[in-house]
Amino acid sequence: MGQTANASPKMIWTIGGGKGGSGKSFITANIGICLSQFGVKVILVDADLGGANLHTLLGVLPPDLSLSDFIQKRVSNLEEVLVSTSVPNLQLLSGAQDLLNASDAKSLQKRKLLRSIQHLESDYILVDLGAGNALNVLDFFLLSDGGILVATPEPTSIENSYRFLKSAFYRRLRWSVTSSAAKALIDGAMDRKNELGIQNPSDLIESITRISEEEARRVAEEVEGFHPNLILNQVRTKKDIEVGFSIRSACKKYFGIHLHYLGYIVYDQDVSNSIRKRRPLVLENPRSRAAQCLTEIAAKLVNKHQMAVRLQGEEQ
Amino acid sequence: MKRIEEQTYYEILEVAPDATSREIQQAYEHARETFHNDSVAVYSLFSEQEIKKIQSMIEEAYGVLMDEALRKNYDRSHLSPLDLKWPKSEKLPETPESPMEKKTYLPFSEISIDVGEGPYRGKMLKQIREKMGIDLKTISIDTKISLKILAVIEEEIVDRLPVGVYLKGFLRGYAQCLGLDPKRVIEDYLNSMGAGKKK
Repeated sequence: MGQTANASPKMIWTIGGGKGGSGKSFITANIGICLSQFGVKVILVDADLGGANLHTLLGVLPPDLSLSDFIQKRVSNLEEVLVSTSVPNLQLLSGAQDLLNASDAKSLQKRKLLRSIQHLESDYILVDLGAGNALNVLDFFLLSDGGILVATPEPTSIENSYRFLKSAFYRRLRWSVTSSAAKALIDGAMDRKNELGIQNPSDLIESITRISEEEARRVAEEVEGFHPNLILNQVRTKKDIEVGFSIRSACKKYFGIHLHYLGYIVYDQDVSNSIRKRRPLVLENPRSRAAQCLTEIAAKLVNKHQMAVRLQGEEQ
Repeated sequence: MKRIEEQTYYEILEVAPDATSREIQQAYEHARETFHNDSVAVYSLFSEQEIKKIQSMIEEAYGVLMDEALRKNYDRSHLSPLDLKWPKSEKLPETPESPMEKKTYLPFSEISIDVGEGPYRGKMLKQIREKMGIDLKTISIDTKISLKILAVIEEEIVDRLPVGVYLKGFLRGYAQCLGLDPKRVIEDYLNSMGAGKKK
């Protein structure tokens, strides 16, 4: 067991974002390795139920057992699906590969899976999510202590990330209210052309206040407590890096949320070379510029965790 | 959460109530860049009308906070005694993540924002510096560029300007100190000097 494990509770990070190909799995695999190299125990969960390939990025052959076996109840315990990797302290929970409808896992199965992931024994659990805004994906994203959005500095990627963030944001708010009237307002707010004239979260809170001040207070608390993170991948210029800060400011103004810009990963030919070789970049070429960015982000995650633990300690 | 029109000027520019002129200048440039008409970070989140409104609020906030008298008046009427009590060295206790954020920003500190302002001639650099309330001596200490050279740069005394590579180095240091885009400053300055010589 790693050093952190002795002193700190487990930390779950979910890695998502609207667009496919933004580098979520690549980032999950490499940050997982960096964390395990810090001496903490790490589990990587491939929750891209429609297109799992985290094992390939780790240089592992498709394991015999995967989440499909758990979802299909062929194994009762999620630990049985865990496989060791060649990296000390790092285990993999491989995604469903042979189940076309795995991404549509029924609600009951999904809840069981979410619960089981939360109960896995590890210092850090990194969950790699599939692309898109399906409810399954959003629920996994909201499962974590801190969801991490991965985007590239292109308009299409940013647009999809906002769409994803909006969906996750409103889903979280929906969980916080109890009345059907408030839930209906939140559902309506998702459609910008809604007849209620709700254009943004401020309008929504105002509308909910008219129904119930108590519900509005709960929604406002949810907004306050929602702290997603952002990693910008494939940045090529300083201006690209600045886009991350602009996204942070835009989120503050629009959603009223504090998006934490964890960092960026520079565009680097070594990345595609390592993927082709099926060797994780941080092992294949740890001195490459992209690998250094990944290591820096992993160190920030550890710091963030330690800070959260310290704050928790002070509160108790 | 507050609507943009309910936010204080400090919230609009995302600075602490005790922010220095330099911090306000940098925050303003960042805000302008973020809410620029062509910005990739906002077009899919805000309507055109909302962007226009935010742009105008940013300009309004900047205009007031960079003017000492207007800022004092504004602080008296808009800030609580608690805001005004914060010591200069402390930052807004917005969230516990602020120190982390600061840490994140540090490696990027060399990055400046191309605000589309300019052209950056000597007079413009002087104006920006004075708006920030920074005297030339402070710039000289920060950048280790002699006072004489800085004055020559600001006054554009062409025949006393350092030659090529040295001038570029000094302009880079000066621009970084003001939080401006060094590349843009060098380019604008050298272009204007070239034009001056041709005349």
